[in-house]
Amino acid sequence: MNTVRCITATLFAIATGTVYAQAGAPNDAQIAAIVVAANQVDIDAGKLAESKAKSAEVKEFARRMVTDHTGVNKQATALVTKLHVKPEENATSESLKKSGADTRKRLEGLKAAEFDRAYVDNEVTYHQTVLDAVDKTLIPNAKNEELKALLIKVRPAFVAHLDHAKHIQASLKK
Amino acid sequence: MTRIALRAAAASVLLAGLALGGPRTAAAATHTVTIDAMAYAPATLRVKRGDTVVWVNKDPFPHTATAADRSFDSREIAPGKRWSHVARTAGTHPYVCTLHPTMKATLVVE
Repeated sequence: MNTVRCITATLFAIATGTVYAQAGAPNDAQIAAIVVAANQVDIDAGKLAESKAKSAEVKEFARRMVTDHTGVNKQATALVTKLHVKPEENATSESLKKSGADTRKRLEGLKAAEFDRAYVDNEVTYHQTVLDAVDKTLIPNAKNEELKALLIKVRPAFVAHLDHAKHIQASLKK
Repeated sequence: MTRIALRAAAASVLLAGLALGGPRTAAAATHTVTIDAMAYAPATLRVKRGDTVVWVNKDPFPHTATAADRSFDSREIAPGKRWSHVARTAGTHPYVCTLHPTMKATLVVE
């Protein structure tokens, strides 16, 4: 439960931009690192769920998360390479990675239906929070037009994933 | 075969061709549906029977175009790839991406 609270606090901080209160708005190199970290965290959670999930629907969703977020990261990496931007780790990207690792540890201790529910609940919270961060922090602060365009282009994927996760969350409660 | 027989054969082939063409006045057209940012554009496409529809996936991950009535199913269209389909079944065909159930569109074949 403490882990959940800690993750929620971190995610809330990212979404509301309080992390930047000390550091200021992220630059493009930091945004790139945040995008890569956000996708990687969901890829890692998805890989765990692909092997641990009980329900076929949850397994399929996890597979989708791995494929889609890997695709987004490939495109993001291709863009920053082209722009000669080196992703710069920062408080937000580091805290994303840390809370991702904590979540994985917590999920590893769960089994079957309990695992499915916890994974899907986390996916709902995670996509909602990343979406808020994209809207409130990443898109408004991106300076390079191509980086901004990429964020705008991948935003609907987060919306679709969030809706999909909510749908599964509701069906698991039945 | 005599020349006359050949001519008759050619004429009948020509007539058969016209008959098959039926009421269609123009040649079959090709239409494009772009899949970008988790959406099909246009969301509703109207085509004539015999036209070709090409779905082009511009997203960095796979999608499908799968009719609810299963009159067509692209299976996975990889990023940057396309899938062609000749619309032969008249009617209104709602379709989805089976990988992303929130993605919906309609193909109308007249």
